[in-house]
Amino acid sequence: MLMPRKPPKGFRKPHNPKRSGKSKGGTKVTFGEFGIQALSPAYVTNRQIESARIAMTRHIKRGGKVWINIFPDQSITKKPAETRMGSGKGTPEWWIANVKPGRVMFELSFPNETVAREALRRAMHKLPMKCRIVTREVGDV
Amino acid sequence: MSEVRISAEPRTEFGKGGARRTRRAGKIPAVLYGHGEKPKHVALPALEFAAALRRGGMNQLFSIEVTDGTKELALPKALQRDPIKDTIDHVDLLLVRRGEQVTVEVPVALTGEHEKGGLLVTEHATLSVQAEASHLPESIEVSVEGLAVGANITAADVVLPKGVALVSDPETVIAVLSAPAVEAPAADETAEDSAAE
Repeated sequence: MLMPRKPPKGFRKPHNPKRSGKSKGGTKVTFGEFGIQALSPAYVTNRQIESARIAMTRHIKRGGKVWINIFPDQSITKKPAETRMGSGKGTPEWWIANVKPGRVMFELSFPNETVAREALRRAMHKLPMKCRIVTREVGDV
Repeated sequence: MSEVRISAEPRTEFGKGGARRTRRAGKIPAVLYGHGEKPKHVALPALEFAAALRRGGMNQLFSIEVTDGTKELALPKALQRDPIKDTIDHVDLLLVRRGEQVTVEVPVALTGEHEKGGLLVTEHATLSVQAEASHLPESIEVSVEGLAVGANITAADVVLPKGVALVSDPETVIAVLSAPAVEAPAADETAEDSAAE
């Protein structure tokens, strides 16, 4: 499962990241031939990333290559159930990647387009936001 | 590549408000600069400009006729796109002269059948080349015919058209035919699978 190797440099329990705006970079397919692009903002947990990766790689079986362009480097805290308010912020519970619309999260290279699209469709079902499949074009600008 | 004639209007209002009004009117805010001249702010017709870029790519030469009477030759230098709608938000145009040598990024098109059993991975989709502004290649064809698994194609292997010189590092890897990697299941994954069965 993806997560930071060392504890975060800043705060251990930061404020929840902002979900406004669009992605400023990483909006094109740059490594593989096909990709999954986010169409709405979401916090993607490391479990969801891993689940999507497994769905993709199990479908293509062999002969392809997968790139993960997001990394869950932000912690999200949660207070235990039935706890009274106050007495400080809860404990870090999840590692998430703050994904904004336009971001290409996964990329895939596979010789058969039908199989590649099906693999990405299966991976999209594991993700918490609206997505679409994008392709790399020659001379894409 | 032939040049595309496009009309432009000088832009008088700036900032996000002005730019948004320009976009709502079906135009793209653009700036023309180069040759040490003062930058000119213009508005281009959005549909015509986008269609020309779709046909000719990023190295399409434009003959821009500004309504104040000036006529300029320019190449798109930078493009800002909306990541969702894929519309063009702003264009930087670089002034060029006929016969001038310019350095541009030209897309690489891989052709031919490589050896079976390998996965062709494109490492660099473009090559930096120098050519005459009015004779820029649309794309450079690179043959991967008979490429063996584990072998790669570098910029030095590419046969460039006449009048085009390579600017990229000759050792730049364009494509690699890698051996297919077999996904090894993680330890916890296998445990989960066996538990499920």
